[in-house]
Amino acid sequence: MDEWRYSPARDLDLSSGQSLTSVRREAGLPTAILSGMRWLLVRGYLGLAHHLQIQGRHHLPHRLPLVLVANHASHLDALSLAAAMPLAMNRHMFPIAAGDTFFETKATAAFASLFMNALPMWRRQCGAHALEDLRTRLLEEPCGYIIFPEGTRSRTGRMAAFKPGVGRLVAGTPVPVVPCHLDGAFAALPPHRHWPRPARIRLRMGPPKAYPGVANDREGWRMIAQDLESAIHGLKTDSNPDS
Amino acid sequence: MIGPILLGAAWTIAAITVLSLFCYREFARATGMFRSPLISTLVVCGLLTVTLAVADHWYGLFAALPALGFIVIASVAILSDQPKGYIQRVALGSFGFLLFGVCLGHLAYMANDPAYRPIMLMLLLCVECNDVLAYLSGKTFGRRKLAPRTSPGKTWGGTLGALVGTTVLVTLLGHHVFAGDPMDTWLRLVGLGLIISVAGQLGDLVLSSIKRDLGIKDMSHALPGHGGLLDRFDSLLLVAPACFHYVGYFRGFGLEQPTRILSGG
Repeated sequence: MDEWRYSPARDLDLSSGQSLTSVRREAGLPTAILSGMRWLLVRGYLGLAHHLQIQGRHHLPHRLPLVLVANHASHLDALSLAAAMPLAMNRHMFPIAAGDTFFETKATAAFASLFMNALPMWRRQCGAHALEDLRTRLLEEPCGYIIFPEGTRSRTGRMAAFKPGVGRLVAGTPVPVVPCHLDGAFAALPPHRHWPRPARIRLRMGPPKAYPGVANDREGWRMIAQDLESAIHGLKTDSNPDS
Repeated sequence: MIGPILLGAAWTIAAITVLSLFCYREFARATGMFRSPLISTLVVCGLLTVTLAVADHWYGLFAALPALGFIVIASVAILSDQPKGYIQRVALGSFGFLLFGVCLGHLAYMANDPAYRPIMLMLLLCVECNDVLAYLSGKTFGRRKLAPRTSPGKTWGGTLGALVGTTVLVTLLGHHVFAGDPMDTWLRLVGLGLIISVAGQLGDLVLSSIKRDLGIKDMSHALPGHGGLLDRFDSLLLVAPACFHYVGYFRGFGLEQPTRILSGG
């Protein structure tokens, strides 16, 4: 028999308020129940209002850790990707959201963490440190991340160049990264609109990629970002030949 | 806790249920049990079943729950088909259920007695005084450490000071609280005082042992300056069942009250 090992919650030393805005936040039973309800609600909504169509779901690895990477044009993107995950994995999937947008006030932080299960990425300060914390968690826990490497929502609907931060999370690791392309989310809820309108959303998932042999340095990160960007461009071409 | 006790029995039972749920949450997060949602769900269901038995004044179910709870946890844990860590998951789940469901459930069960208010208020006051007396007499007379590896601050001087002080306090208060019932003899009240003091300090040491084993200082940061709820209520954990059965042996709890109020039968 192995020795007993206790692993207290990573955020045990934080108050509830601090925990909401920390990348060390860990979900307990209430959050797991909430997560299941959210999954049902979001799937129901996306199915009814946006006829969410998911292609290539068989590419999803059956085990964590994993990273979903997609183009970003709408607040519906993270919901669509989370809804595509199996229920059992759902509470371990964390959309990485801009800390200075979603976690600045207690109310938005509570919404982002409890409803979206998001983890904050503080863009203005401690970016490198935050990414290192996320990388450690991804490898140790294990868990899954939903990442939009463009860094912000597209204002035109066109995909922008990927930032290298995603590479920093997975360079030199066997963690599978699933490239995903979302089509229709911009039409449903573009950045300038407050409420979504009914529009079809199509999510296409590509074969997972891993970068165990890529150096964990700037060059490696850039290479990974470019590789994923071209993979998602490829999915876009496949899924929408007319564009 | 004083507010709900003054408000009524239902409030008291509800408040103790909430307390036990929050205490279990802290325990689960500190031990890592929260990563086993299946076992945690069973423990939470167990805690709620204890509340049902208490609110229903159904002592038969209440007495059966420790065994039933263990049977359910040990059996359902098999369903996940993950033998690795089975003993740890079942042991921690059962430990959590016993500490926060069964032990705190005894405190809630006292609310079924018509005279629960003075009894529970006396218990809470004496447990609190026991902690303070242990601290003060430890500071004044404490030289020999009681359990230096478990709780370096505790001394034999503190323990004996609390034992004497709490026993005197319980005897004096108990004489009024239990006036005219079978508990109202000096010998029995001294016994109750000794039980409250010893069980209170043991509860404190139980939590200290848990924290030492886990390598943490506080169970959570729910109460700024105090740590977690468990750090605040640890002394009650063992006092509640010990006093319930000691006092119950002589006078019972709510024996004249209607039983199985909710379920009938």
